[in-house]
Amino acid sequence: MTNKIIRRSPVTFGPKPSTVENRGHWVVALEYEGEGDGPHLIDLSHCPRWDFQDGNLDKFKPVGISIPKQPGICVLSNGTLINRMNGTQAAVWHLSGEATDIPPETGYTDVTDATVFLAIMGRNAFAITEKLSALDLNDPARTPPFLIQGPFSHVPCQIVVMAGDRELPVILLACSRGYAHDMVDAILHAGHEFGLQPAGENVFKKWLEPLK
Amino acid sequence: MNRIDPLETFRIQPSQKISIQYGRKSYEGVAGDTIAGLLYGNGIRVFSRSLKYHRPRGLYSLDGECSNTMMRVDGMPNVRTENTPARNGMKVTAQNVAGKTADTDPMAFMDKLGFAMPAGFYYRTLHKPAKMWPVAIKKIRKAAGLGVMDPDFRIEGYFDEIYPTADVCVVGGGPAGMTAALAAAAPGLRVILMENRPWLGGVFDYRPAAYEGDLPLYQRAAHLARKIEETPNIRVFTHTAVVGNYNDNLVTAFQRGNETDPFDERYIEIRARSIVVATGCIERPLLFENNDRPGVMQVGCAHRLARTWGLLPGRQAVFSIGDDLGLEAAADLSDLGLEIACVADTRMDGQDETLIDALSRRNIPVYRGWIAYKAHGAKQVKKVTIGPLAGVQRQDIECDLLVASAGLTPLTGLLSTRQVELLFDRHTGFFLPAGLPDGIHTAGRMLGFQDSVKIEISGQLAGMEAAADCGFNAPGEIDSIKVRINAFPGPALGSKIVSAPVKGKKTFICFDEDTTLKNIDQAMADGFDVPELIKRYTSAGTGPGQGGIPGHNLPLYVAQTQQSPDQAPRSTTVRAPLIPTLMATYAGTQHDMCKRTALHDSQVASGGKMERVGVWTRARRFAEDTKALAEIKNVRHNVGMLDASTLGKFRIHGPDALKALQRVYVSDMDKIVDGRVKYSAMCNEDGCIIDDGVVLKQGENDYYFTTSTGRAGQTVEWIRYHTRYDHWDFNIVNLTDACGVINLAGPNARKVLEKVTTADVSNEAFPFVGWRDLTLADCIPARTMRLGFVGELSYEFHVPASYTQTLWNILEAAGKELGIQNFGLEAQNGLRLEKGHLIIGSESEQRTTLHDVGLGFLWDRKPDANTVGAVALTQTEHQKDRLKLVGIKMADASAAAPKDGSAIVDTKFQGYICTARFSEALNEPIGMALVKDALAEPGTELNIYEDSCNGQLLKAIVAKMPFYDSDGSRMKM
Repeated sequence: MTNKIIRRSPVTFGPKPSTVENRGHWVVALEYEGEGDGPHLIDLSHCPRWDFQDGNLDKFKPVGISIPKQPGICVLSNGTLINRMNGTQAAVWHLSGEATDIPPETGYTDVTDATVFLAIMGRNAFAITEKLSALDLNDPARTPPFLIQGPFSHVPCQIVVMAGDRELPVILLACSRGYAHDMVDAILHAGHEFGLQPAGENVFKKWLEPLK
Repeated sequence: MNRIDPLETFRIQPSQKISIQYGRKSYEGVAGDTIAGLLYGNGIRVFSRSLKYHRPRGLYSLDGECSNTMMRVDGMPNVRTENTPARNGMKVTAQNVAGKTADTDPMAFMDKLGFAMPAGFYYRTLHKPAKMWPVAIKKIRKAAGLGVMDPDFRIEGYFDEIYPTADVCVVGGGPAGMTAALAAAAPGLRVILMENRPWLGGVFDYRPAAYEGDLPLYQRAAHLARKIEETPNIRVFTHTAVVGNYNDNLVTAFQRGNETDPFDERYIEIRARSIVVATGCIERPLLFENNDRPGVMQVGCAHRLARTWGLLPGRQAVFSIGDDLGLEAAADLSDLGLEIACVADTRMDGQDETLIDALSRRNIPVYRGWIAYKAHGAKQVKKVTIGPLAGVQRQDIECDLLVASAGLTPLTGLLSTRQVELLFDRHTGFFLPAGLPDGIHTAGRMLGFQDSVKIEISGQLAGMEAAADCGFNAPGEIDSIKVRINAFPGPALGSKIVSAPVKGKKTFICFDEDTTLKNIDQAMADGFDVPELIKRYTSAGTGPGQGGIPGHNLPLYVAQTQQSPDQAPRSTTVRAPLIPTLMATYAGTQHDMCKRTALHDSQVASGGKMERVGVWTRARRFAEDTKALAEIKNVRHNVGMLDASTLGKFRIHGPDALKALQRVYVSDMDKIVDGRVKYSAMCNEDGCIIDDGVVLKQGENDYYFTTSTGRAGQTVEWIRYHTRYDHWDFNIVNLTDACGVINLAGPNARKVLEKVTTADVSNEAFPFVGWRDLTLADCIPARTMRLGFVGELSYEFHVPASYTQTLWNILEAAGKELGIQNFGLEAQNGLRLEKGHLIIGSESEQRTTLHDVGLGFLWDRKPDANTVGAVALTQTEHQKDRLKLVGIKMADASAAAPKDGSAIVDTKFQGYICTARFSEALNEPIGMALVKDALAEPGTELNIYEDSCNGQLLKAIVAKMPFYDSDGSRMKM
């Protein structure tokens, strides 16, 4: 054990990352050996995430973005995703992974460490998720990005379908940090038959970049 | 093996040879064979011995409706070999026989003892004297049964689960199911089509009869299957047994994998917006003497053996049937080389005359109104007696195959599991739904339709109606389809004949349970007049076939035999799973979702004995000593560290946050002092204590509070529930996982802390029950509280979870020279016990009030808060005869601590030991107990009944708490 100040992700994949970056006190895995063409499981737990609650959400604009009016609707702007969770609560996820000062209003709580934050992306992503959850993530009637809250591998989760394309679906998943080990294990196990591989943040950022 | 020349309908690959072992011999077949089919092709006729009478049983159906072909395959008992694909190298043995094959069985004499085992045999005999029953039950179990499970058997394979979502779920991959799926998919809906057999096609799949013009049915089936395959929004699950249908259109099923699938079997659960049930029909068995004899099989079984697998089912056959499919099969099998002596048709009229002509052209006589009376032969049919239903004429015909079927019965199990009422339809002889719930539609043969085109159109209609359920309504089209259907003749008149007029001693209505018609008669003679009760009294339909064989015949026979014209046949209840499968399939992938703290890995690396505590995995102790005395001693005399991250942690903020706290906490939260934590408790409406923890004020209308580990998951709901009508403006954030918690405890704790912070942490600057937001190691934010759960100088660091391991390492290094050590839950338990600090749930139960555990002083009697439990607390404050929490010591200080949960007794139950441990500080056992208030005075002697005390009650004395450091000076140092 070393006494170097490190913020640790709750996720450890079997293989060691081939490229990492020190970001704040986080050691972010950028790339793994043999990531292949996907599908991929990516640890984004270092991305800052805020909980925002207020009786009148409409009057707030976290980082300048209007909160969606309806629960289940998400908005992505400049690398920040805002998910309307219910009448008084929204989640603010900084997908770019850069540290951002939390606004001074009391409604905000930094919940970065409250959850494990994962991306499942690539071909057959929905085939993997349907092995772990009855939630209808592939509902053609909904336009991504959209939020579904419910059980995934028996654990309450916030799930955002970022893209529903057949070739490159992208799903973000956040659940209690304590479940990280078993959640990753369950996803990798479910994805084994589809060649699911751990991947670094670069894969996700490459997909995200054009959307910023 | 003798196969007929290849046909277009074959589902085998004749060039790909495989072999399996049965008994001591190896048998060869081809890829695509089922296990039973492969053995049948090699001349095997006896596949099993029956449950009670050890009668030889053979291939009867091909869809697993009975236990006849259940065998042990590669160590797995009760495998339905008739619909299990054979794989190269399989090892197959027979069940319920002394040898490896079922051909000979020393227990066959049981067949002669049927007279001694009438209906209700178990209920009526062997109970007097009562001591005889345990002996008898062993003998019965040894002599009877199916496969035997080896307790050491570990199932091989991969068992998966899947939860697909669909707009429309179509059950049944026959013609109606396929057209329903295509119709539902037309507007772009997501459709799932499930079929029990390994391929689509249903009743069309193997039949050469004409669909329209010269197009044979099997080609039509292939055409529909291709269209299904080409429709991207139809997802097909073949070899998938649908086993249940529940409210809100939840459909459950399991799929058997083939050699290329990544799973051996997988559980499927589908939530659909609409369901089409097109499960078709199975054959209703025809009953006669020895109807279970190997060589007797159903029409579809004989026909499919030849058409699908290329196996002629016999050499010389007699048909005794009650449906046109029997006539069609006789003509076709004759063309394929089977010699058919005659066809006995139970119907006097109503046959398709073109089929009668077809048989006539083949010189096959058809006897209308005739039926098989008896099959002869010891292990296989050698002769059949047939005769008219009404009359005395009998004719014996030598044969090795008797193809027998009374008619058809619809597969309505899925409707039954949805609680759909089924009523007997006197025209078709079917049990048909009296009405359907919204979002469920039926189609095809299960409605009594026989015309091939009509079957398909009914599927199309059901598919369109299902699409309409999903918002794609096409009323004009639906109406025109209805007009087309009505143009066809109605459902055919169904035969209601169950049995030849025989005595029924060896006429089996249920193969699985060896239940005869005579047993049914006996049950009725004993006063059972309802099929549901007769089923239980005789066991008919309670075997692995789930009523597939007797399900329809039993109510028909009961109605006919009772000769009550007013009593329509009443079906028995069908329950899920409609088709039994492996427990492993239901277990699925068994992902045990358990929480780990941020310190988990280092706790394990330090030798932590990890165990499941609620949803978390925690370290019980770090040494082999189960009492963890060294860890306790180290905390009492030095310094230790505990991972307490599982504590519930919450932020509550907003203008009405204080009101919400006042509602759920018994104390006055308005009295929280800046910089100090407030310990309090929550009660339920009955005043019973459910949680405790500390609350601190971190800002204006902004609080941070902790709960016990076990209550963390319910706290937000609890507060929201108890403020639901108040429209208060407050918000709660669950930070349980966001913060790791390290408890640094022991007289040297401050020395360690001083090494990692520049803040003044002296007793004066940071006193007991104070809290500070410190920065440790120059950058780690740590909300630090001075608490005293373990009774020593103690700091609780609440740190962002991602920093927790780093801080742990830093503290460990800082305390190294002092000899800092980990301690776990067991040490914490012993330490807090010495202090008399309780754990909710360990020292309380559902009935335990705040007063009972001595925490009544926390209750502030806030008049305006409407605190949860306040009314009950008032009422129970002075209530007598309650269980009160007391400390105990053993009368003999050298005795062992009694087991947790041991009863405290005199002539009655007087309480129980909550927790008891050996005290390191006192060098004797101590504990806490809930006892009747009359026994709560210190010095009272208690008698403890421990489960292993052999009647010698243990003696304990009620003692004052705390046992250790009664003035609390060690916490405040």
